[in-house]
Amino acid sequence: MIMREREVVIGHRLGLHARAAAKLVELSSKFQASIVLFRADPTNPAEADARSILSILLLSAGYGSKVGVRASGVDEEQAVESICEYLAG
Amino acid sequence: MTNERVIHGVVGSVGFAVGRAVRTFDPLFVSFNLKLRPDRVRKEIDRFRQSVEKSREQLKRMQAELRRASGRESSFLIDAHLLVLEDRLFVDRIIEKIETDSINSEWAIQQVSDDLFQAYDRLDDEYLRERRGDLEDIVRRLRHNLGSTPLPPFKKLPYDAILIGKIIPPSTLFELRAQRVVGLATETGSPLSHTAIMARSLEIPAVMGVAALPEVSSGDLLIVDGDRGVVICSPSEETQAEYKSRDRGRRIKKRAGASASAPSVTEDGASVSLGANINFSEEVRSAIACGCESIGLYRTEFDFFREGRQPDEESLVADYSLVLKTAKGAPVTFRTIDVGIDQKGWDGVNPNLGVRGLRFCLENAHVFKKQLRSLYRASVNGRMRILLPFVSTVDDLDAACEIIMDVRRELDLKRQRYDPRVPVGVMIETPAAAQTCDLMASRVDFFCLGTNDLIQYYLVIDRSDQSVVHLYNPFHPAILRCLHQVYALLGPTGKSVTVCGEMAADPPSAAVLLGLGFTSLSVNLGAYARIKRMIRSVSMKQLRELAGEILKMQKPKEVEDKVRATVYRS
Repeated sequence: MIMREREVVIGHRLGLHARAAAKLVELSSKFQASIVLFRADPTNPAEADARSILSILLLSAGYGSKVGVRASGVDEEQAVESICEYLAG
Repeated sequence: MTNERVIHGVVGSVGFAVGRAVRTFDPLFVSFNLKLRPDRVRKEIDRFRQSVEKSREQLKRMQAELRRASGRESSFLIDAHLLVLEDRLFVDRIIEKIETDSINSEWAIQQVSDDLFQAYDRLDDEYLRERRGDLEDIVRRLRHNLGSTPLPPFKKLPYDAILIGKIIPPSTLFELRAQRVVGLATETGSPLSHTAIMARSLEIPAVMGVAALPEVSSGDLLIVDGDRGVVICSPSEETQAEYKSRDRGRRIKKRAGASASAPSVTEDGASVSLGANINFSEEVRSAIACGCESIGLYRTEFDFFREGRQPDEESLVADYSLVLKTAKGAPVTFRTIDVGIDQKGWDGVNPNLGVRGLRFCLENAHVFKKQLRSLYRASVNGRMRILLPFVSTVDDLDAACEIIMDVRRELDLKRQRYDPRVPVGVMIETPAAAQTCDLMASRVDFFCLGTNDLIQYYLVIDRSDQSVVHLYNPFHPAILRCLHQVYALLGPTGKSVTVCGEMAADPPSAAVLLGLGFTSLSVNLGAYARIKRMIRSVSMKQLRELAGEILKMQKPKEVEDKVRATVYRS
């Protein structure tokens, strides 16, 4: 299976809080690809569905933390691109 | 192998219970596990979807209004709520649960949200942790739109339930008492909160102030041990077996205790009047069956607000008449509604220092009058006494007496029958009343001493505040002096005093009351047998000497040690 993956440092001052998470869901919903956010930290790994606000909030990604974005589907390239751009702030 | 865990709290109500946890998420909404017939599952999913749809419409409307009022900025929180309603982690999982477990929507919502709440509570980020409030909001809205009524429309739960929650208001406990609620544990609260008092009078084991309670989910197997003040999560087979064997032993003991209806007379022949405190009209029957000579305190507010709204006068008259008839000639002291305490809100304002008791009644004269009319109309059915709670000034008392006279004049005009000799009394529970009870004496027929509030106000301790509750001490010299003073002030007036606080229900402190001259006590039914045993085992002469000695002491600990040594001398 083809998929895109990239890492990005969260640039929002409050991390992925309610407003940022809501915007992220909105943005992710524009793409057809399935999009997953993940924390690569081997001691505390976690994944979140970029279209689920609850799972994004529970990923608890704070300001300056590093998350991975993985997408798979027809528009995966644009999806990873624009989501990373958004997360970088 | 189980992951048995013991979490600590404080004793709220003795006894123990084994059951499944049911989280009371919102005071008004407690959901229970209903097993659906297979053919009902589709309909239930539709019901849930409709509630989601309705919630979405409400939120959209709210969002539009917010935008008009304050622009785009503040409406983003509603965005988050709306997204939760579309979230597959939430909505899809609930539907899946309804389907696979054949359960009602309320219970499915509860289980899914419980998991999420726990996940939130584990977060390191405090800001994000706080966001669980948004989810709570959504759950509340969904429940509301499901049309959940506060009382589930069924009689029996399919299993024994242990209510858990941050706060469980006494009203909730009361509403559910006929269901299979066998125990209760709360995150906050103390043994002196009204929830604990209610649990004791319903004989439901309770542990309060269990800080680690959020770790428990609805459906978990629990043991609430109200004797040790602990909650055991996922108990092992051995632990369960151990508790079950204790269960048998206890029932036998209880039967033996109930049969001991010997007179309450001290070893040296002094007789003590021992009454029962009740919260619900249904308790009168068991109080009389236990051999209680009187109902020393009937806290009427629980029955008054039973259906969550005010009853009509006719049903109150019927209820009060039934109470008097059931008491079979034993006097019943009806305390008029005392609201404003923990039955109401917890919005940060200390209701204990606000409009409660008589203050509430005077501000809501129509409610007060309705209750008084009902009481007087019922009075011909037995021996009634009317007690006014939370009196703090002679002015308030005069105003209350004036309202009582109004009510009686009204009844006279309507030629309605009532007992004109119904004694009216004052509850001494504020320092102001303790200091001025002699001034009130000429206006009333009797007094009751509410030691719980009196101690809380004297020692400046909020009964629901965990950080100070250990300072609450009936053996504090300030309390002893206060009681001594009340006795001295009321002695010359010849008016009777009955002590009906928790102090009367604990053998050592009850012994102090006897020694200080208070020979009329009224206690919860649960404490009745043990206080009677205490009375029958002590000598009044010795207790008087004891009172003289402890009045000279300086520290609560000294007093307590001395009292315990005397009461448990053998």
